[in-house]
Amino acid sequence: MRTKQDFPSINERSVSGVKEDGSPYRVLVVDDSMFVTKQISQILTSEGFEIVATAGNGLEGVERYKELYPNIDVVTMDITMPQMDGVTALEKIIDFDKEACVVMISALGKQDLVKKSLLIGAKNYIVKPLDRKKVLERILMSLQQ
Amino acid sequence: MRVEYINPFVEAAYGILKEVTRGEVKRGELYLKSTSMPVLGVAAIIGLAGDVEGRVLLDMTKDTAVKVASAMLDGMEVEPITQLNEMGKASITELANMITGQAVTKLHNLGFKFDLTPPAIFTGDNMEIADTGVEALIVPMELEQGKIEINVAIRERN
Repeated sequence: MRTKQDFPSINERSVSGVKEDGSPYRVLVVDDSMFVTKQISQILTSEGFEIVATAGNGLEGVERYKELYPNIDVVTMDITMPQMDGVTALEKIIDFDKEACVVMISALGKQDLVKKSLLIGAKNYIVKPLDRKKVLERILMSLQQ
Repeated sequence: MRVEYINPFVEAAYGILKEVTRGEVKRGELYLKSTSMPVLGVAAIIGLAGDVEGRVLLDMTKDTAVKVASAMLDGMEVEPITQLNEMGKASITELANMITGQAVTKLHNLGFKFDLTPPAIFTGDNMEIADTGVEALIVPMELEQGKIEINVAIRERN
């Protein structure tokens, strides 16, 4: 999906998915919607990030994180998912790795769960519908913390 | 059913459909149905329960669903879709999520508190929907890809 914000402006190209040493930031996308997974992946890869894995629910997300650790820089975590929700998965990831960089992806109207996630240790959050600018800004902000 | 319940859905649908299809959207006349009515072939349904209860239905033909999903997927480096496959259904589901999410935030701000069910997609021919005890208000949206009907049946919980 291309929204107005999807066309990067050449003048403000400070955004980049590449670290100072030239290697890409490695991302794990956890979302039960194939559409949203594709959308996040497309936005991030177009800026040089590398999607190292995707997971369709929280349980799978935690497993992937443990497998990939420490070769993972950031996780995008949907909140509402089957089997294990994103807040529980976040908790489990933080239990495993206190330094984990997790960005929550929330539907509108889930402020309470977003607050809870931030208290548990999520670095940032993005409210759907997603747009390119918002996704890149929030993910880079959380990586720079 | 009070018209104020449907307005947030219509406003959200108008804005979001315009954004995802990057085309013109024309809002048709609102009408009311209290008996069973035909469904166009692809229906995304989301239930509501809380201070108010009922359901929201986005209703369109299979052809429109494929075209709208294709527009949403444009620029995302996926195979163009020609039928309503998994990716097509995921796209229409997300469309329903976006519209109800935005509408529900508006209703929450007006003081109505309720929860949503995850969306489900029905596909088939000659389908009908009957809401016993709740009137449905329908607003058709005309897009370049075809017509999408925003069909909302909500009542206050006693």
